[in-house]
Amino acid sequence: MRKNGKFYVGLAGVATVITYLIWTGVSQTMVYYFTPIELIQRVKEDPSFHQVGIKVSGRIQQGSWEREGDEYMHRFTVVDLEDPSVTFPVEYRDRLPDTFNDHEIVDVVVEGRYREDGVFDATLVLTKCGSRYEAAQEELIG
Amino acid sequence: MILLGEFALWIALPVGIWGAVLGFVGGRKQRGDLVLSGERSVYAVFFLLILTSAGIITAFLTDRFEYWYVANYSNRELDTYFKIAGLWAGQRGSLVFWALLLSLFSSIAVFTNRHKNREFMPYVVGVLLSITSFFLVVLLFGDVNPFERLPFAPANGRGLNPQLQSYWMTMHPPTLYLGFTAFTIPFAFAISALLKGELDTRWIVITRRWTLISWFFLANGIILGMRWAYEELGWGGFWFWDPVENASLLPWLTATAFLHSIQIQENRGMLKVWNMSLVTLTFLLTIFATFLTRSGLIESVHTFAENTQIALIFLSFMGVVAGICLLLIVWRYPMLKSENQIQSFISREAAFLFNNLFLLGIAFAVMWGTLLPLISEWLTGQAITVGPPFFNRVNLPIGMALLALTGVGPVIAWRRASRRNLARNFRMPVALGMIVVAALYLSGARNGMALLTFGLAAFVVTIIFVEFVKGTKARASIEGEGPAIALLHLVGRNRRRWGGYIVHVGVVLIFTAFAGAAFDRKVVQTLDPGDTVTIESPFGHEYTLTYQGLSSPRGQNMLRQAVALMTVEKNGRPFGTLTAEKRLYLTWETPVTEVGIRSSFLEDLYLILENVSDLGGAFENSAEAQRATFEVQVNILVGWIWYGGLVVSIGSLIGMWPSRGQATVGPRTKIGAKQPALAAKGP
Repeated sequence: MRKNGKFYVGLAGVATVITYLIWTGVSQTMVYYFTPIELIQRVKEDPSFHQVGIKVSGRIQQGSWEREGDEYMHRFTVVDLEDPSVTFPVEYRDRLPDTFNDHEIVDVVVEGRYREDGVFDATLVLTKCGSRYEAAQEELIG
Repeated sequence: MILLGEFALWIALPVGIWGAVLGFVGGRKQRGDLVLSGERSVYAVFFLLILTSAGIITAFLTDRFEYWYVANYSNRELDTYFKIAGLWAGQRGSLVFWALLLSLFSSIAVFTNRHKNREFMPYVVGVLLSITSFFLVVLLFGDVNPFERLPFAPANGRGLNPQLQSYWMTMHPPTLYLGFTAFTIPFAFAISALLKGELDTRWIVITRRWTLISWFFLANGIILGMRWAYEELGWGGFWFWDPVENASLLPWLTATAFLHSIQIQENRGMLKVWNMSLVTLTFLLTIFATFLTRSGLIESVHTFAENTQIALIFLSFMGVVAGICLLLIVWRYPMLKSENQIQSFISREAAFLFNNLFLLGIAFAVMWGTLLPLISEWLTGQAITVGPPFFNRVNLPIGMALLALTGVGPVIAWRRASRRNLARNFRMPVALGMIVVAALYLSGARNGMALLTFGLAAFVVTIIFVEFVKGTKARASIEGEGPAIALLHLVGRNRRRWGGYIVHVGVVLIFTAFAGAAFDRKVVQTLDPGDTVTIESPFGHEYTLTYQGLSSPRGQNMLRQAVALMTVEKNGRPFGTLTAEKRLYLTWETPVTEVGIRSSFLEDLYLILENVSDLGGAFENSAEAQRATFEVQVNILVGWIWYGGLVVSIGSLIGMWPSRGQATVGPRTKIGAKQPALAAKGP
């Protein structure tokens, strides 16, 4: 039994290390997930949100997409899904997904930092096309 | 045919429930006639589900767009091949497909056990048919009926998402589903063993091959998914730690742990509760993966409410199953006592245990990272997410430890390893691993984690190689056989052991490929015809790509295509051509990128057509609309994932191949006889 006891200590040690890895992993790489309304509101209450990683899901404003020359520099505006008056500008320097465009209804998730000058500096842009694949019944009928 | 299919789906449910009840009652009352009837229900449900699936496929092939499911996943122009694959293109069809595969495996299990293992079969039938019936209930009453009709028939369907129109995509989901459903068989036997109180190693021995089959399909399904992502998604990566990917990885991780820990139970009579828990957990995770894949539960944190219904049905099912299993294990706890204790940290038992712990650690980390948005929103009202940096940070160190154990586990002694055992087995492999690290460092590789991976890989492969050589030599000298024959006989005599080693080699190749990604290079440039872009490979040579221009041919089920042609030179010598495309599919308004890949053994040259200045003009073959932006990547060792996958497949096929004489473990013995001695003894 003593041997097994020692063994449990070893197992507990490994479990602790894994828990520690997960804990520090989360606290150092975590990103807040906001809607545009929440983003604007939170930053107003607590400016330190300019400093942390943030993910925002909204919709691309129609006709807002600009490309600087032919380079990897995209500018567009994201609007809130519920309140179209809430918007914020986004800058992004990388390849956009194929489904990204500003003439259809495209839901988008941007990840990055909300700079002090009110521009969202995105490091990742994902388009959510779930609505295109499923639940498009109304569109078919209408 | 379609109506017949719909009708069959409705009939399948009462037959399934009837059979499940007969199984349980027949088992309880020891009534052979009831059990036989239950077993026939298994076949009947399988037959009915074939009709249902045939009905759905017929609806696809005959363009019956009055069906919601067909209208949303097909159109007239779609290739026949993809119309058949429509069966698993969306959530509704996938559920039918899941039930079909489960009833196929159930039928095979019932058929192969018609003369043996009879004491387990009543409850096995009961469990299998209960699970099938659950899926049928969801299909019929969960608002996901694949035969639901639209109020009128649209002229054409919406078409299949172009990214799903790929060979790999038609292969990937069925392979994963085969893996998910096959694992239900070991689970059913485990529950049957708990109910009957037959808790020796027999249920494990009977289902060993099923576990391997499931593992084989899961591994292949995951690798096919990586292949699809790499070739079709067009960003040059193969894994994104996306919730759906993670969900398919989870049961694979726990199944891998289970495959290892049952060996301890077979050899040392330990870890019985642990194995019961692992088999339950893996089964639950296959269900979790199945419903997460299409429910959108995680990605759309803020639109959670839309999908509540099906998510809730599945979550409650998982909760009920988990509760029942927990109660059964607690009830049978006295019979699940360990027969032995671990004697030393430096033993094979310990190595296997740590292997289990690391695998579950990874599984837990992946699960936690995947569900964090839900958990955090639920606990604090504020959703928090983590992405690839989190998963890489946590899983890399644990993965390294696992890789090291892959080398240690097979050669360290049971019970307690002596110093001599350690020195004899590990001196050379450790030295070789260090030499590899030193050589790579001197040739310029500077990434610490990658170097460690390469070193460990060399260590593990050396150990396995030495094992093969030793075994072959011993056999050759004892039996007086030539080396080739001796090797064949060696593997044939203990397929599970040597097949397992081959799987390990494949896993090592895949780990090496992951580490290779640390040395990837990429260049982005906007080009006019005649311009060149140059990229240097970490192996020292240089690729020069010359842009020849865009052209627009016509394709099937496609509206338009803009194909960019590049001529490639490697160190100034001609190296063929590469093309990359933008496609615009009919009924799919956004363009799709098709990448160009030139694979070689050590690296891939990967070309992405990032943007075309005037796509409309390019589709019209306009001479003015030729300017385009490209991303060129050199991806290091990517091919080793696919080679590794092939080696894993070969190894697991060897491991599960039926061997004459050995397969008949304990069939003709009396019911209830305790037979721990029948557990296959590892060498």
